[in-house]
Amino acid sequence: MIACFAPGHGARPEAAARLARELEAEFLGLFVEDADLVRLASLPFAREVGLASASLLSMDPGALERQLRAQAARVEQALQTILGPAPGWSFRVERATPERAVEAALAEGHAPALLIPPAADLRGARVHARRVELTRQALRAWWTSGKPLVLLPD
Amino acid sequence: MPPPLPLPPGALRRRCDAAALGFASTAQLQPLESLPGQARAEAALAFGVGMRREGYHLFAMGPEGYGRHSLVRARLEAEAARREAPPDWCYVFNFDAPHRPRALRLPAGRAPRFRDAMARLVEDLAAAIAAAFETEEYRNRHREIETGLAERSEGALNDLGERARGERIAFVRTPSGFGFGPLNKAGDGVMEPEDFAKLEEAEQQRLQARISALQKELGDLLHLMPTWRREALDRMRALDREVTRTAANNLIDELKSAYAALPRVQEYLDRVKADILENAAAFRQAKEGGEAPTLFGIPLPRPEGAEGPFRRYAVNVVIEHADAGGAPVVYEDHPSHAALVGRIEHVAQMGALVTDFMLIRAGALHRANGGYLVLDAAKVLTQPYAWEALKRALRSRSVDVRTLGEELGILSTVSLEPEPIPLEVKLVLVGERILYYLLHAWDPEFAELFKVPVDFEEDMPHGDGDGVLYARLVAGCVQREKLRPLDAAAVARVIEHQARDAGHAGKLSVRVQSLVDLLREADYWAGAASRAAVGAADVQRAIDAQVARVDRVRERLREQIVQGTLLVATDGERAGQANGLAVLQLGDFAFGTPQRITARARLGAKGVVDIERESELGGPIHSKGVLILSGYLAGRYAPGLPLSLSASLVFEQSYGGIEGDSASSAELYALLSALAEAPLRQSLAVTGSVNQLGDVQAIGGVNEKIEGFFDLCRERGLTGRQGVLIPASNVQHLMLREDVVRAAAEGRFAVYAVSTVDEGIELLTGLPAGEIHARVEARLARFAERAREFAAAGRRKPWRVEKKK
Repeated sequence: MIACFAPGHGARPEAAARLARELEAEFLGLFVEDADLVRLASLPFAREVGLASASLLSMDPGALERQLRAQAARVEQALQTILGPAPGWSFRVERATPERAVEAALAEGHAPALLIPPAADLRGARVHARRVELTRQALRAWWTSGKPLVLLPD
Repeated sequence: MPPPLPLPPGALRRRCDAAALGFASTAQLQPLESLPGQARAEAALAFGVGMRREGYHLFAMGPEGYGRHSLVRARLEAEAARREAPPDWCYVFNFDAPHRPRALRLPAGRAPRFRDAMARLVEDLAAAIAAAFETEEYRNRHREIETGLAERSEGALNDLGERARGERIAFVRTPSGFGFGPLNKAGDGVMEPEDFAKLEEAEQQRLQARISALQKELGDLLHLMPTWRREALDRMRALDREVTRTAANNLIDELKSAYAALPRVQEYLDRVKADILENAAAFRQAKEGGEAPTLFGIPLPRPEGAEGPFRRYAVNVVIEHADAGGAPVVYEDHPSHAALVGRIEHVAQMGALVTDFMLIRAGALHRANGGYLVLDAAKVLTQPYAWEALKRALRSRSVDVRTLGEELGILSTVSLEPEPIPLEVKLVLVGERILYYLLHAWDPEFAELFKVPVDFEEDMPHGDGDGVLYARLVAGCVQREKLRPLDAAAVARVIEHQARDAGHAGKLSVRVQSLVDLLREADYWAGAASRAAVGAADVQRAIDAQVARVDRVRERLREQIVQGTLLVATDGERAGQANGLAVLQLGDFAFGTPQRITARARLGAKGVVDIERESELGGPIHSKGVLILSGYLAGRYAPGLPLSLSASLVFEQSYGGIEGDSASSAELYALLSALAEAPLRQSLAVTGSVNQLGDVQAIGGVNEKIEGFFDLCRERGLTGRQGVLIPASNVQHLMLREDVVRAAAEGRFAVYAVSTVDEGIELLTGLPAGEIHARVEARLARFAERAREFAAAGRRKPWRVEKKK
């Protein structure tokens, strides 16, 4: 299974890790540093609207880089705590758009049965798709849906 | 008129004839349960107990040991047994104002059941509600609300993102929120900063302006989101309430139906139901109470029994009458403020004192509510603020539990104001008469609240049939105290002793405590002598032993007189010197002792000088007695002449205070003797007060005084000339010791009853009173003549003449 994490999505690495442990599944933790976000922060007029404060906040590329590194480290640490030193899992950081990051992971030969988007409700509804149906557009739609994706055999 | 003769032995002591009592042993008698001689008190008690109007509380007054408590208690218990048990009271949580716990009234014996039913209800609710929240239906509906909220928020954000994309602007999620940036040419990502820099300035400004507009729109959208979240939460709460209500309704309604006749309980259960609906989350936790509260990670101790959020549904039964066979009769031995009105306990939590409705404790007024409360007046009055609290409760007819610290404003911690409990109690204060009269005089509220005085007699008449009645009282005491029975002679001796205790041959003391003490001690001596029944000798031994234990001072005094340290003559004659008799009261023991009184007279104008008063050793009544002597002298001997007399009177070798006028006749005899130069018989002692007309008046302690002089005379040897002059009006009080009576019968000692000074002076001087009066009159006339001569000589002094010139 591949569990994706991304800044601003309220990462829940523990739940995904527990599920992997229960299923004894191979596990890839994929932290996606959204390339669009990095580019946005580099624009001279870059601003973000705070989710909690609803106010405009300036964006600093350096600060963003530090935040991303810190979040990735937290996620990896949480996975390490639950999955331990077992060899069946790995974690990596990708700087790309989410769909490209997943696409790249799939292209590397990973054949996951389950794709978990960031902040997914693991007890909630799931979507199903075949590997061939996972176009970039479909992956974008899946990412924004926030629902776990069960990959059916082709 | 001849001087009075000695009183016959029969007048010195009223004997109780054992044979006339008509029984052999107290075991044959029907024990007397009530107290004889207390008809007035019993009638007042019956009235006060029966009178159910406001302010008719009782004050049982009289000295200690006269059976006030036992009579009051017996009456109250008899009355209480006829009445129904009063209701139970409990305190419960006040959901509207937690600091003001509510009082609930339940029928007698039902409060504990209600408490247990509430405890069971909470247990059942915890199980039922937890189960209801675990159902698939609840989970689905809850998830539906959550999903709805998420979809609404996400949908709005996605719409905004799509619209932005339509304007070639990317909508990007950031770590803290969202941002907007221009799309690249391919339209699949945010434009690189270098590409943006290459755009024409106008395009850059347009994009920035558009992004600003979108940011504002996003800000507005985000402002709406808390409202949507609140709406969703409201729906979740409504769902929780609905589920809780369904689970709880049956259980609570079942309990309500059990208390259908009690509107206050119904109302309370409705509030419980509403509160449970509001706090359903507490019931969803698997373990009651959840995790222990912590402060900076340190577990906080909880108040006693304060486990979890369900404590608010507990019931604090403050008063219950489950096993009561009638109305309560409560005696509070330590009537402090808290013991009367109850208290609110506190427990320490992290250095602070906290409390709640479960820590309210009942006081004596709560326990006696609906019945009777008996208190010792002196104890109430000596406990800080207890009297005020008691009156406040009686006035307001309610018990308001307040801690004293709170009332005084010295307790600065969280406390409660429990709802006052209506009070219907009959209060009986037991105390000394002086307390009743002082309270009546100085406390305006007292008369309003205690309208029924129950005045206990200290003695009862000793008529012909009263001996048997008293014997039945003795039999009752014997039975209660599980003592050996008394034979008739022993009872007769007890009766004689009680007459002596009453200080009157025609009365019997009803001081039950001393009677019981005497019976116990006589029983002890009978046991020591291995007797199955108590005889007269055992009673006498008990009396003698009682006296022996306390008469050390009396013996020392007599010893000093016999040895001549204290000068008291018991033989011979001397002018201006008489034997007075004083009574000393040391604890419970009173004894008489003779005291030398001397008088000196000379020409002068000071009248009769009381040396005791001048030296501030004489009390006001004694001074009054001496002043009366001046009145007697002036009226009797010098109605037409100025009284040119300076006489002094003193109690010789008296170094303590002298009070009372019982020695005024002795003082007068000494004075007349000094004036008439007629010696007085020192073998006689005198007691009695006099008035200005020369009548001898009754005094107290006549028996002790006679015995005091008798004991001294016996020590020195009875001569047959010794005796005591007492007022004739005191003859009725004579209950002298057997040895005194025997000596009188044998002519070795005499008691004379005198009515006038004339009778007394004749006995003391052996001269006719007329002769004494003539001598006194002549002496006073000489004094007056000499005074005139001195006055005339004074007028002829040269300096006086010069001065006149």
